[in-house]
Amino acid sequence: MTDQLPILVILGPLLGAVFAALGGWFRPKSSHPLVIIGLVLSFVAALKLVFTVADTGAQKYWLGGWGSKPGYGVVGIQITVDHLNTLLLAAVSGIALLTALYTKRLVDTELAGRQRYFYALFSLLVTGLLGITITGDIFNLYVFMEIAALSSYALIAYGKGRAYMAAFNYLIMGTMGACLYLLGVGFVFAKSGTLNVDDISIILPTLGQSQAVFVGFALILLGAWAKMALFPFHGWLPNAYTYSPTAGAAILAPLATKVAVYAMLRIMLTVYSVDYILNSPSIQSIALGLSTIAIVVGSFFSLSQTNLKKIASYFVVSEIGYMVGGAWLANKPGLTGAMYHVVADAAMTSALFMAIGCIAYRLGQSKLDGLKGVFFKMPVTMAAFVFTMAALIGVPPTCGFFSKWYLIQGAVQAGVWHFVIALLISSLVKAIILFRIVEIGYNRVPHPAVDGNPAIPCNEAPLGMLIPTVAMALGLVAIGLATSPLVNTIIAKALPATLTP
Amino acid sequence: MPSLPIWQFDVPLLILVVLFAVVALSIRNLMGTAIVFGAYSFMMCLIWAGMGAVDVAFTEAAVGAGVSTVFIVSTIYNTSATMPPRPGGLPFKLFIGVVVTLTGVFLLSAIPDFPKWGEPNSPANATVAPYYISNTIADAHVPNIVTTVLADYRGFDTLLETTVVFIACIAIYSILRVDEARSKTEDSGPVDAEPHYDPSDSLIVRQASRFMVPFMQLFALYVIAHGHYSPGGGFQGGVILGASLILVAISFDLKFLLAQWREKQIMLMVAWGVFLYAVVGLGCVFMGGNYLDYGFLNPVLPGEQDMARSHGILLVEIGVGITVMFSMIGIHINLASNGHFDRGL
Amino acid sequence: MENLIANFNYVIVVILMMIGLWSMLAQKNLIKKCIGMAIFQTGIILFFISIGAKDNALIPILTEASDHKYHDPDVAKVANPLTQILMLTAIVVGVATLGVGLALAQKIYREYSSFDEDEILNKQTK
Repeated sequence: MTDQLPILVILGPLLGAVFAALGGWFRPKSSHPLVIIGLVLSFVAALKLVFTVADTGAQKYWLGGWGSKPGYGVVGIQITVDHLNTLLLAAVSGIALLTALYTKRLVDTELAGRQRYFYALFSLLVTGLLGITITGDIFNLYVFMEIAALSSYALIAYGKGRAYMAAFNYLIMGTMGACLYLLGVGFVFAKSGTLNVDDISIILPTLGQSQAVFVGFALILLGAWAKMALFPFHGWLPNAYTYSPTAGAAILAPLATKVAVYAMLRIMLTVYSVDYILNSPSIQSIALGLSTIAIVVGSFFSLSQTNLKKIASYFVVSEIGYMVGGAWLANKPGLTGAMYHVVADAAMTSALFMAIGCIAYRLGQSKLDGLKGVFFKMPVTMAAFVFTMAALIGVPPTCGFFSKWYLIQGAVQAGVWHFVIALLISSLVKAIILFRIVEIGYNRVPHPAVDGNPAIPCNEAPLGMLIPTVAMALGLVAIGLATSPLVNTIIAKALPATLTP
Repeated sequence: MPSLPIWQFDVPLLILVVLFAVVALSIRNLMGTAIVFGAYSFMMCLIWAGMGAVDVAFTEAAVGAGVSTVFIVSTIYNTSATMPPRPGGLPFKLFIGVVVTLTGVFLLSAIPDFPKWGEPNSPANATVAPYYISNTIADAHVPNIVTTVLADYRGFDTLLETTVVFIACIAIYSILRVDEARSKTEDSGPVDAEPHYDPSDSLIVRQASRFMVPFMQLFALYVIAHGHYSPGGGFQGGVILGASLILVAISFDLKFLLAQWREKQIMLMVAWGVFLYAVVGLGCVFMGGNYLDYGFLNPVLPGEQDMARSHGILLVEIGVGITVMFSMIGIHINLASNGHFDRGL
Repeated sequence: MENLIANFNYVIVVILMMIGLWSMLAQKNLIKKCIGMAIFQTGIILFFISIGAKDNALIPILTEASDHKYHDPDVAKVANPLTQILMLTAIVVGVATLGVGLALAQKIYREYSSFDEDEILNKQTK
């Protein structure tokens, strides 16, 4: 059975969604447990695969049994679990599972009466994201991308009022990205004749300097950048994540953009090989420039916002800059930082949005001014929040510190100083925002411990939401402490062998 | 049957297609846009048929020219059909125009690097594709190579495609469905004894559709079942079946259709198709093979190994047909009635 | 003549795609954006089909010979089935996205009574 694990990772949430869609018409309360079962299956399979890959190397699985035929190459669709994606698979399924548990209360209250298909769409989104991560076929990636995209448009549209326009703008930008990606696949296919990631990587170097392959690469990159909201394609993200219902933002924000970053890494490293990257200085400098601008723009816009959710969304925009920049530095620490940060940032963003969700649930709104006294009203939630912000700023031993460490090391090694400065500015801005929140939440009300001041009732978030939040916040430290084994056993092996240190 | 290109046919069609696209996007009246878009889809369908892509042309005729146009018209029907003139915004449009032109030039720069058009030995045509052409009979005994590749060699893609249709249906349902108090009952229950229909005034439309619908459905079932031997398959058949129900809804009344196929039944059937497809694949795993490896269903299905694949393909196509049929009608009902599930187009 | 047709085909495809892309980004009317999206996607599909076309080729459906058996086909004379499959998927994904886009547009109209982006923005910020 263990050789069927890769397909179980996908089938779990897919069948969970189908059963939830069926069960929702008979017993509305059954859709949540069905989805949880599917996600548990997926997470257990993904976790087992992490250890299998660490022991025995890449696992390839051929759907329909159609593998490589002599003289033709792979004729079917391949899914691969190797050092590049195994951590992300476990992270995506784990975060999805926690978020599904977290959102139960939110769905029951915020979305009362409309929640028939929410969990089915949730599970289908996770299927799409896991599929993008696991597939070894560039066209299959497009179909999974669209599965994830359509589900996310519907999840965002569960919000009201402004959410519809936000979802529509996301639809237009997302479809543009997907179509550009598909066009790029077309150019690559026209020159290589196969869609399998490994086979293309063998064929491409034999083609020499091919303009069609170059244009295909550029188009695939543009598509991935639109999907991950890299500057200047970031316009859709802040509105989409702010006006989406909290339950939707909790699953979309941590995962959707990171998986797009992974897709870019997969195409860069496996299909095109790092030598190609180093021989295209024009794209490299453009990518690094855009990353720096993304970090700076995201940081400065977050300073001027008054809504917690908007601030968090702009953090996501700047974090994408970290990952893209790290990847395009194309040296060992840069790539290590980028790959590590994909997993670390998914966890950090998840903890952040979960904490904000708890605050919004209890206070009824998420504006900065409304946070007066929140440190007394919700001490545990705010502790988790401060913890997460510390991780984002880069305080050891959280995971955020290690990713910044690798990224700065890589940038210094490559001599890309604007990237280093951007990283430092971003940490500074996050610290400013944290202090501002502490000031509003702690100091703007009379301190109840001082004599004569009124007591502020403690109205903590419900346990069902609190426990996942705290668990994720503690996980940030766990990931940080586990950095060394993670990097040495898995991430280091995902780096291309021809890379200079 | 030699195929095109015959340049006298190809060139005018290509020019027409661009013309229609420009016209569709400049007409002020949105209903006109929908109609011209339908014409554009038909022209595309002809071009593709000319290039030998008959299954694709079939699907585009059914899906693009047929169902898409109906969706656009349904959307406009409930809303405003005209676009008031809005001057200004020219700098932004020019900026986008420049960006788009530069992108186009960038794309064209790669064209000289392409293999000669129609070259049988180009990489795209000579790497993996020959395997499918040479082995479709030996592997699955299905002459329609497109069906074999669709449902067997790349069957996983088709499962995901069916899932996409499923997601579209439940997404549109979630977005539009208005949860009024009286429609909250899980079981839609029997419609009252004297249903109040608002049938179309035209006797001709009603009678003609009464005549056409059974033939459409029969033809659709033929398309699904005969997809192994002729252009067709699950998608095309499913869309035609859905279109037959849409025809009933348009020519009679939405309520009439909902009396035959209740809301709950439609939405449940949408999920059953995906379920059938996924379960066939799981069956293969239980019999010892990889996911969707129909050969391992050999003990259960009649015939030799290649016939097992042929039957597996048919089962899977039926699943696809079910989901697509009910998705099309589900999407139409939601769009046409603006989520209210009562009056409609 | 063949050469001219070959390049002409690709030029038209690129023009079509760019028309669709421009409409998606620059038009203010939501329905026109959706239709631009559909045009962009059909342009890409035309591009893929052009890649898989073969001169004087037959459609990819094998026919029985007179002895009721299927003989080995001449690969160079059968149109490329792989690109056709990919495009079947792309058409279906395209109509699914179009459907969701139209549903969102209809919902927006219900909220703001307008399909025009500028008008909607005004109403939102009021």
